[in-house]
Amino acid sequence: MTTTVSAAGLSLRYGLTTALDDVSLRLTEGVTGLLGPNGAGKTTLLRVLATAVPADEGTFTVLGHDPRTPAGRQETRRVLGYLPQTPGFHPDFSAFDFVDYVAILKELTDRTARHNEVRRVLAEVDLSDVRGKRIKKLSGGMRQRVALAAALVGDPGFLVLDEPTVGLDPEQRMRFRELIARAGEGRTVLLSTHQTEDVAMLCHRVVVMAVGRVRFDGTPAELTARAAGRVWSSSERDPNAKAGWRTGLGVFRNVGDPPPGAELVEPTLEDGYLLTLDGMHAEATA
Amino acid sequence: MSTVLTQTPAETHTAPARQSWQAIFALARFESRKLLLRIPVLFMLAAYVAWIVWRTKSGWYGYPALQDVDRATQTGPLLVGFAVLLCVNQAVLRSQRHDTERLFGVLVLEPWRRTAAHALSILPVTGLVVLGVAAQFGWQAVKSTAVGNGSVGELLVGPLCVLLCGAIGLLMARLVPKPFAIPVAAVLLLVFSVLAPVSIGGGDATAWLTPIVGEGSSKTIPSDLIGRPAVSHALYLTGLALALALLAVLIGKGRTKTSTAVLAGSLAGAIALGVVGGVGQAAGVSSETVAARTVATLNPQKVQSCVRHGRSTYCAFPEWVPRTATWAEVTDHVQSLAGGTAQTRKLLVQQRVEARYGMEADGAIEPSTTPNQVTVRTMWGGPRTPEFSAAVASVLVLGNEKAGGDVCDGRMVTIMWLALGWTSDPVTELRAVRLSDTVTGSSMVLSPTNGMTMTAGQTSVVRELLAAGPSTVTPKVKAHWAELTAPKVTTAKVAQLLGVKAPGGADKCE
Repeated sequence: MTTTVSAAGLSLRYGLTTALDDVSLRLTEGVTGLLGPNGAGKTTLLRVLATAVPADEGTFTVLGHDPRTPAGRQETRRVLGYLPQTPGFHPDFSAFDFVDYVAILKELTDRTARHNEVRRVLAEVDLSDVRGKRIKKLSGGMRQRVALAAALVGDPGFLVLDEPTVGLDPEQRMRFRELIARAGEGRTVLLSTHQTEDVAMLCHRVVVMAVGRVRFDGTPAELTARAAGRVWSSSERDPNAKAGWRTGLGVFRNVGDPPPGAELVEPTLEDGYLLTLDGMHAEATA
Repeated sequence: MSTVLTQTPAETHTAPARQSWQAIFALARFESRKLLLRIPVLFMLAAYVAWIVWRTKSGWYGYPALQDVDRATQTGPLLVGFAVLLCVNQAVLRSQRHDTERLFGVLVLEPWRRTAAHALSILPVTGLVVLGVAAQFGWQAVKSTAVGNGSVGELLVGPLCVLLCGAIGLLMARLVPKPFAIPVAAVLLLVFSVLAPVSIGGGDATAWLTPIVGEGSSKTIPSDLIGRPAVSHALYLTGLALALALLAVLIGKGRTKTSTAVLAGSLAGAIALGVVGGVGQAAGVSSETVAARTVATLNPQKVQSCVRHGRSTYCAFPEWVPRTATWAEVTDHVQSLAGGTAQTRKLLVQQRVEARYGMEADGAIEPSTTPNQVTVRTMWGGPRTPEFSAAVASVLVLGNEKAGGDVCDGRMVTIMWLALGWTSDPVTELRAVRLSDTVTGSSMVLSPTNGMTMTAGQTSVVRELLAAGPSTVTPKVKAHWAELTAPKVTTAKVAQLLGVKAPGGADKCE
C-alpha cells in the first residue's frame, strides 16, 4: 500500500514534560486507530500532524507536502480535515452555515460548488433534514456529526479525528462508526480513541501510544494476538493476573500469565492493548 | 517503538489551486450577510431610516438649502455605526468566544486574511448608509424649492463614520479581546464624535480631528462662503478608517513576507492619506473666502443678481435667484392689501446675510435705512415667510426697515394685518411670527432684521381683524389708509376705523 502520511522522529516538549518522544509512523489509506491512556500524547501527535503546533524535532509529510515551510504548511492544510477533541461551534449558526464557513476557510470560493459540497457532506453525515437548524438546537450527537461534516468538507485526503465518539450514546456511536468507515474509503484517516471496540470494528491498523512514544504499530489482529494464551477464566479472581474482572456470566476473566491448567479463552483487542501497556510498565520498572 | 509498514514513497496530493483574494471576498460576503442580519444592525438601520424620514419631514419647512442638507446627513449614520462597532467586534471574537479557533487555526485561510474579510464585510452596510444619505439628500435636492449646492465631502462623512466605527471594532477585537472593551469604546466614540465637536466648535482646528464637526450657528450662507474643509475631512476620515483596519489586519497572524510588505505599504499609504487630509482641514479658512464673506456681508450687491418681478426688484445671491419669484408672490400679496401709494410702490428686496463669521456664530443684520428697501434672509418657509411679510408690510407703512423697531402706535395693527391678512391660516402665522409663540398678550414680532413690538391691545385687534377676513377688512384699510398709517395714530383709533372693538388703555410699548 502507498504511504500517504509519514513521520520520523517527532519530538515535542512542554516545559519539563515530554509530550512526544521520537515518534515515527507511516500511514496508508484507510482508518488507522490511535490508542493510548490519558496523557499518552495522542492529542499532541494529532495536533502536530494537523499543523496546529510545530514539533521541536523530526519531520513529517502529508500526501507529499512538508509543512515545515509556510507554503508547505498551506498545502498540507489544503488536504487536511481535522476534528478536534471537544470541537467548538458557533451556536447561532445553522449547521449549513457552520460547514459553509469552514468550507470558505478551506478556500472553497465558488459559491455554487461550495454549497453543493456542503450539502453533500451534510447528507453524508445524515444531517440534510436539519441543515437549516441552529446548532444550539441540535443534540450532542448531531453536533458531533456537524463537526465531522466540517472535517470532511472539501474532500480532504487526510482526516484527523480526535476522540470523535466521546460522550455519544451507543446508538450514536454505532452511527458514527459507519460514518468513519465510509470516510476511510479512499482517504487516510487517523482516529484517536479510548474505545478499543472502535478500533476493532473500523481500523485496518492500530498504533498504541504511551508516555509520548509509539508502543505498538500493527494490525488489530496482531495486537489481539499479543494476548493469545494470556487470557483465562476462573471462578475467582486470580491474584497473579495483571487485570481481572467479573463478567456478566458470573465468572472472572483474567489477563496476564495464566497458571498451569488454566481455562484459556479467546483474547480480544482490549486484552492485547492492556498487555501492551502492562509490558511498557514492566519495561519502565525494569 | 516505531514500526515501518511500507516502503512505498508517498504521492503528492495537491488540491486545486485557489486564489487567496477570492477566499477573502467569499468570507467577506459571508460575514457581511451575517452582519446585516444581526439584530442590533437591523434595529439601528430601522432607526436610521426613521430618523431620515423624521429629519426630512421636519427640516427646512419645504425650502431646503442644500449646503445645509448635506451636513444634516451626518449624525444619523452614527446609529448604524455603533451597531457595526459592536457586531464587527463580536464577529471577530466569535471563534475565540466559542472555542472554534482550534479548528479554524489549522484551516487554510490565515487569521490576517480572516481579519481582512471582516474589514471588507463592513462595506455592504456602509453601502446601505450611502443609499440612506443619497436618499436623504436627494429627497430635498429634487424639490423645486431647493437652492444651493451640497458638498460631496460633507455627504461622505456619514458613511465614513460607519467605516470608522467598523474599523475601531475590528482593531479593538485584535488589541483588547475582552467584552468590556466595546462599551468603553462606544462611549469614547460618542464623546469624541458628537459631544466634543459641539463644545469645541468648527472654528477650532482640533475639532476637525473628530469625525463629525458641528457648527455654532444654524444660519444658511452661500455655499462658496462656508469654508468648511469638507473634502480634506473626508480624506482624513478615509485615511483614519483605512489605517485602523489595516493595522488590525497587520496584527493578524499567518502573514507571509509578501503580504506583510503589501499590508505595511498600504498602511503607510492610509496614514499618508489621513495626514494629507488632516493638514488640509487644519489650514483654516482661506483669505479669499474671508474676503468674499466680507463683501457678501457689507456689499452684497457686488455679488448678487437682480431680477424684476412686477413692480419690484429682487436682488439675491446667485444660488437664491430661483427663489425670488416666491418672494415676489409674498410682496404682491402684502401690497394687494395695502392702500394709497403703497399698493403700487416699487420696492427693492435685497437678500442679506452676516457671513463674516462663517458658520461659527450667528450675527444680527442691521435694518436698512434706505427707503422702500426690504431685507430677505437666506432661510425661507415656516416662520421665515411671515417674518418677511412683516418686513414688507413695515416698509410699506413706515417707509423703511429701521423705523419698524421704533413703532409703538396703532400702525403696528396695520402692519400685522398686511403681513398676515392674505395668508390661508393667519392665526397660525401670527403665532409663528411672534417670539412668544402665542396669539395673546404682548410680544416681539420677528423680522429679517430688527424685531417689532406688539402690545396686548394691538394683538387683540389684529386677532379680531384676522378673524373677520380680507373681504371685510381690506376695503376699510384701503378707504382709511392715510389715517391708518399716520404717525402716532392710536390702536383704539385704528380699531374704530376698521370696525372692531377697541382695546382699553393707551399704547404702551415695553
